[in-house]
Amino acid sequence: MRAIGPPGLHAGWLGGTYRISDPTDRSGYQRIGSNRHALCACSFGPVSAAGARAPVKVPLAWHILVHEKGRTALALLGIFMAVVLVFTELGFFLAVPRGGLLLYDNLRFDLMLVSNQYEYQVQPGVLPRRDIDRLRRAPEVAAIAPLYFADAKWQAGDGIWPDTFVIGLPIGPPRGMTIFTKDEIDRALGVLARPDTILVDQQTRAMFGPLRTGREIRLNGHRETIGGTYRMGTGFMGLGVALISEENFARLFPRRGLAFANLGLIRLKPGVEPARAAADLEKRLGDATRIFTRNALEAHEVAYWTTRTSVGIIFGSGLVIAIVVGIMTIYQSLASQISRQLPQFATLKAIGYRNRTLSATVLAMALLLLLAAFVPAFLAAVGLYSVIRQETLLPVAMTGTRLAAVFAASLVMAAVSALLSIAGLRRAAPADVF
Amino acid sequence: MSSDRAAPLSFRRARLVAGGAVPLAWYNLVAKKPRLIRASAGIGFAVLLMVMQLGFEAAFFNSSFQIIRALDADLVIASVHKYSFVTQQPFAPDLVDKAGAVPGVASASPLYAHWFDTYWKNPSDGKVLLVRAFAFDPDRPVFRFPEVRAQAHELKAADGVLVDRRARPFLGMDPPPPSSEINGRRMRVVGSFALGPDFQSDGTVMMSAQTMRQLFPETGVEAGIIKLAPGADRNSVIKRLRAALPPDIAVLTKAQLLDLERKFQATLSSAGPIFAMGTIVGFVVGMLISYQVIYADLSEQLPQYATLKAMGYRRFYLIRTVLEQAALSALAGWLPAFVLSLGLYRLIAELALIPLAMSAGIALVSLFLTLGMCLVSAALAVRRVLATDPAEVF
Repeated sequence: MRAIGPPGLHAGWLGGTYRISDPTDRSGYQRIGSNRHALCACSFGPVSAAGARAPVKVPLAWHILVHEKGRTALALLGIFMAVVLVFTELGFFLAVPRGGLLLYDNLRFDLMLVSNQYEYQVQPGVLPRRDIDRLRRAPEVAAIAPLYFADAKWQAGDGIWPDTFVIGLPIGPPRGMTIFTKDEIDRALGVLARPDTILVDQQTRAMFGPLRTGREIRLNGHRETIGGTYRMGTGFMGLGVALISEENFARLFPRRGLAFANLGLIRLKPGVEPARAAADLEKRLGDATRIFTRNALEAHEVAYWTTRTSVGIIFGSGLVIAIVVGIMTIYQSLASQISRQLPQFATLKAIGYRNRTLSATVLAMALLLLLAAFVPAFLAAVGLYSVIRQETLLPVAMTGTRLAAVFAASLVMAAVSALLSIAGLRRAAPADVF
Repeated sequence: MSSDRAAPLSFRRARLVAGGAVPLAWYNLVAKKPRLIRASAGIGFAVLLMVMQLGFEAAFFNSSFQIIRALDADLVIASVHKYSFVTQQPFAPDLVDKAGAVPGVASASPLYAHWFDTYWKNPSDGKVLLVRAFAFDPDRPVFRFPEVRAQAHELKAADGVLVDRRARPFLGMDPPPPSSEINGRRMRVVGSFALGPDFQSDGTVMMSAQTMRQLFPETGVEAGIIKLAPGADRNSVIKRLRAALPPDIAVLTKAQLLDLERKFQATLSSAGPIFAMGTIVGFVVGMLISYQVIYADLSEQLPQYATLKAMGYRRFYLIRTVLEQAALSALAGWLPAFVLSLGLYRLIAELALIPLAMSAGIALVSLFLTLGMCLVSAALAVRRVLATDPAEVF
């Protein structure tokens, strides 16, 4: 290759599409010629000292990347997969607590009254019904409703009898409160008012048989009719979930009765500050109960799942390894770019570019690659989440926080891998290369 | 000339191959140490990801098999309505006696269990927490756990329990307290064993059937643990048991019981798909990393390969060398990842109290996946070598 044009340097990508020249020379962006096979085809023109101080990092990084499109595409694919991986692991990490919160996410309440034995949603302990009735008269409280949990054997035929998580709820309008945020449940309250009738969650597993409206089954030997289905999800409540009115709940579990509820859902009057009302209401009752605000309850459940079960460590370690793999992937791409283009980098050094400028160029390359790969990775993760939802029945969803968290993690991955690969630049000693 | 400073060295070695005895792929791999480290780190971390996911999946299944495997049983009888071992489906204790009277049965012992209504009070902080409770006749401990068998006679004392030292720490069972409460009843801790939680229960207590009846007056048997008489034919005993017992009692071998549990966990729990997906994503990422590694290696060694070509080496030889090199890269990534995973397994098993352990299966599957991803990548990258034109390279 010949040196063309005004004093400058042409090497690899430098020769292909970009040329360093005197910064005062505004014609410097003209295309100089294709140089695809020139692994090491560089040539020098007279080097202008002024040219050495033109730290055009981002354009330089850009030109390095577009110089060899195939390799850059490969790097993008690697980073794309790394970001998808982080999305996946973070999705799992957060899906489990979210699954644990599924019921609460679908309940209408400002405060939650629970027993002081409350562990988490599926192990809530019991609280006396009279505590719920006492709070009903409190001035801050607009409405309060009990919720009852029990397990019952789903007996249909001679085969297996799976356990059903049964939720008993008051359905009468006089209580002045709809309990679920789902309209389809509200609309079916009339059905629940019929004796011995249940609504079944559509996510109830296939082993329960068809969830056809009108089908008769036995729960703990007690005949019940399926009055319809609703879509909420079973979370970690069990393999099947059924809703039942409190009157029918008392008939189904005669020994349990209604004297003890599991949760008390409190709706506050408009303008009442929840945290303060929680503290005030807690004082009205004895030590045997606690009141959570929504936020406190969510924090409690997330802490339960991440610290009291194996989930935190299992998915947490998966997430950490995913980030390390991501760093390795980006590092691999950058390092191979650098080692292939060592002569070019050495040349830049030789003409006076400082290490800092070259490092910044590598960092810019990492960030450019990341930005380009992140958007498709995000879209792929949205698709993958829907597959995970179907396969695991866990509520994995893309949220703003998740997006921000993965983007932040990706920036860290790009930065760390750039720092690692910059070490390779130090090898770019002009005297060695040529 | 070339950007590869190590080229002259590996080029010289490549020539040696003419003799045929020198592993060219090996020299290519080790020609440049920093590149080798980079490659094995890249592939290795992808392997580590897969090994961890595979390990978690196995740990999940193993934790639900632990109790079944520990049953000292040739056959097990249980309700046909039971869909998983960990579900309450009791039957009348006299059916166990009936099974014991069947010819060919040496002993039939009842196992009582309560998974969802045994609340243990942590004596140090007064918290009341759900645990699982097993009960048996102290003269016939139905488990193989040596510690349980050695201390079973202690359970003859009224309200005596054995507690699990490996239960989750918040239960306060390690060190075993002298006494505590279960469902409000005072219990004396007469011994302990090391089992650990599973994904369902945080801890375990064991007691005599008599003590359990004090806690749950109407408790029924969850499983009948049957030992065959010496020389008895298993299949004919199964037939006789089925004839002697009502139709809602299933007679299973231990393998069948494990198989039912495996099927249940595989179809109904989220753990299978979660860890399978983690493994697949790890594999794909690993494939991309190894493709980059191998592609970069081949690009740097292109002059050497072109030389070989010019010397008259056949395509087959070049392909073989590239594949050998890929297999060696796979090993270079797999081996450190494997060693690292042994440490991580131990650490996480202790932190999460799960039976996370390396098995021959995990080692082989991960090695196979690693070789797979590297060889596929090499097969994709080898075109570059085949397309080299010696005249162009120099």
